[in-house]
Amino acid sequence: MAASEVPLLAAAGVEVEIGGTPILRGADLVLWPGELVAVVGPNGAGKSTLVRAVSGLQGLSGGEVLWQGRALGEIRGRELSRLRAFVPQRMPVPAGVTVREAVTIGRSSHLKMLGRLTGSDRAAIDASLERAGVGRFAERSLTTLSGGELQRVQIAIGLAQQAPVLIADEPTSQLDLGATIGVAGLLRRLTADGITVLLVVHDLSLALAVADTVVVVSEGETVATGAPAAVLTPERLAAVWGANARLSEHEGRTALHVAWLDAAHQ
Amino acid sequence: MARRVLVFAALLAALALATVASLALGAIKVPFGEVIEIIFGEAKGGPNEQIVEALRLPRTVEALIVGAALGTAGAILQGALGNPLASPDVIGVTGGAGFGAILIIILFPGSIALLPVGALVFGLLAATLVFLFAWSGRNRGSVGKVILAGIAMLSLFTAGTTGLLAAYPERAPSAIFFIAGGLTTSGWEELETVWPYFAVGFAFVLFLIRPLDRLALGDDVAASLGSRPQLIRLAAGIAAALLAAASAAIAGLLGFLGLVVPHVVRMAGGSSSHTYVVPASAVGGAALLAAGDTLARTLRAPIEMPVGPFMVLLGVPLFLWLLRKAV
Repeated sequence: MAASEVPLLAAAGVEVEIGGTPILRGADLVLWPGELVAVVGPNGAGKSTLVRAVSGLQGLSGGEVLWQGRALGEIRGRELSRLRAFVPQRMPVPAGVTVREAVTIGRSSHLKMLGRLTGSDRAAIDASLERAGVGRFAERSLTTLSGGELQRVQIAIGLAQQAPVLIADEPTSQLDLGATIGVAGLLRRLTADGITVLLVVHDLSLALAVADTVVVVSEGETVATGAPAAVLTPERLAAVWGANARLSEHEGRTALHVAWLDAAHQ
Repeated sequence: MARRVLVFAALLAALALATVASLALGAIKVPFGEVIEIIFGEAKGGPNEQIVEALRLPRTVEALIVGAALGTAGAILQGALGNPLASPDVIGVTGGAGFGAILIIILFPGSIALLPVGALVFGLLAATLVFLFAWSGRNRGSVGKVILAGIAMLSLFTAGTTGLLAAYPERAPSAIFFIAGGLTTSGWEELETVWPYFAVGFAFVLFLIRPLDRLALGDDVAASLGSRPQLIRLAAGIAAALLAAASAAIAGLLGFLGLVVPHVVRMAGGSSSHTYVVPASAVGGAALLAAGDTLARTLRAPIEMPVGPFMVLLGVPLFLWLLRKAV
């Protein structure tokens, strides 16, 4: 196999137990360069656990995770930070820390122990601020930001790691419509710039609009992977979510049509 | 940026002033100018030089080191546990050290020289027990577990201390100086026993500053950057335990300093970045303890009073004034 045919991430048969309870019971995930992959599924299906496990934030009880062909367990923390950045759903917001300082912390895995920021580190920090669209409020304190602004700052912190893969756990679930559009557009632009994005998302119409590939997680297993329109069929929405619903797409607009009060599915 | 630079400069000035005052003031007042000449070795000998060099210099150095150690310990614990109430008290060190010292004072009054050793050993023992309990079972190393195990250990050792004092009430008065926190003039000897603990503790802190900044953005961001949050907490706990136990060994129970100084520094500087908070807490703690000790031995000279209450008298008004303006 040629080097270019090794995926950035290949996870197979991933199992995770938390406190003796199996959360993931066999999940597969593959990331190819430059794609945007959305992980969808009902509450409690194991979406977040899956992305945390492949990121190295959650220990595995079974299965295999390979980053660029190397086993996750053999990769040291500093190296791992240059392979993938993990953006949590909502980070704590410490008082007295500015946007620029937070993004500078995101750069810290590139620094030598007790070493100082170099010119290229500063350039990377500036570029991350601009790319995430937070440069104009870089000197503001984190505590003064709106939810949408804060989510963009979190993405900027991840970008400062300069990893080829950005993993975001439900980045839009607490945002209003406008902020969601902003974050979705940002993630799509990052993909256009060559960053591979792995996203946990609840909103299926959003997944249809932004994702190249959708991975459906249900009851701890990945049950379908493929192009959004091919995977998110009415039959699957019924089987996985218990919903009488269908997705539609027309000229870049997507919608989820739900029979909200359909007794057959309650 | 500018504000924290100003605050840091002010803290350094306060440190210099407190140091000179600590060397100059006491039962015998030595003029400031002469103190500075003595420090820089330009004095021509005489009784004042002896007072400053033999009596006040070791005590002042002790105050500076203990103040810096407690300020630093509080700063890294508050950062590592993400809890504003964290101080050497919550990892059991203060309770353990108190018990160890009282044990020597009350049961072995003839071997009072062992007091620092007793405080150090029991302070570290209490912290070790806290870490063992907090790092076992489920959710090992979680903030809640550390704090709860620490409070439990604090209660346990405090009960032991109170029990000893109640059983031997006639010996209790000699324990007050230790409990209230006080420096003595036996300076260099005490420092010779405990300096390695300070050295290792401060060395740990140097390597913890950046990891603590990561932890401030949450365990997930720290993990994204390749750090292990539980390991950072453990290292910070060990460093704080070393600094606080060594401090208690030579200066008694001054836990308050570790709680308040980092808050004062954060509120005054408007920043919680550890590259600022940790060194500023060290400088601020050193200045506060040196100033408090100077007050404690000049107000009713030649009677020396414990430094703890004076430090609180200096620190609390400043703390409350800043708290009023914060959030």
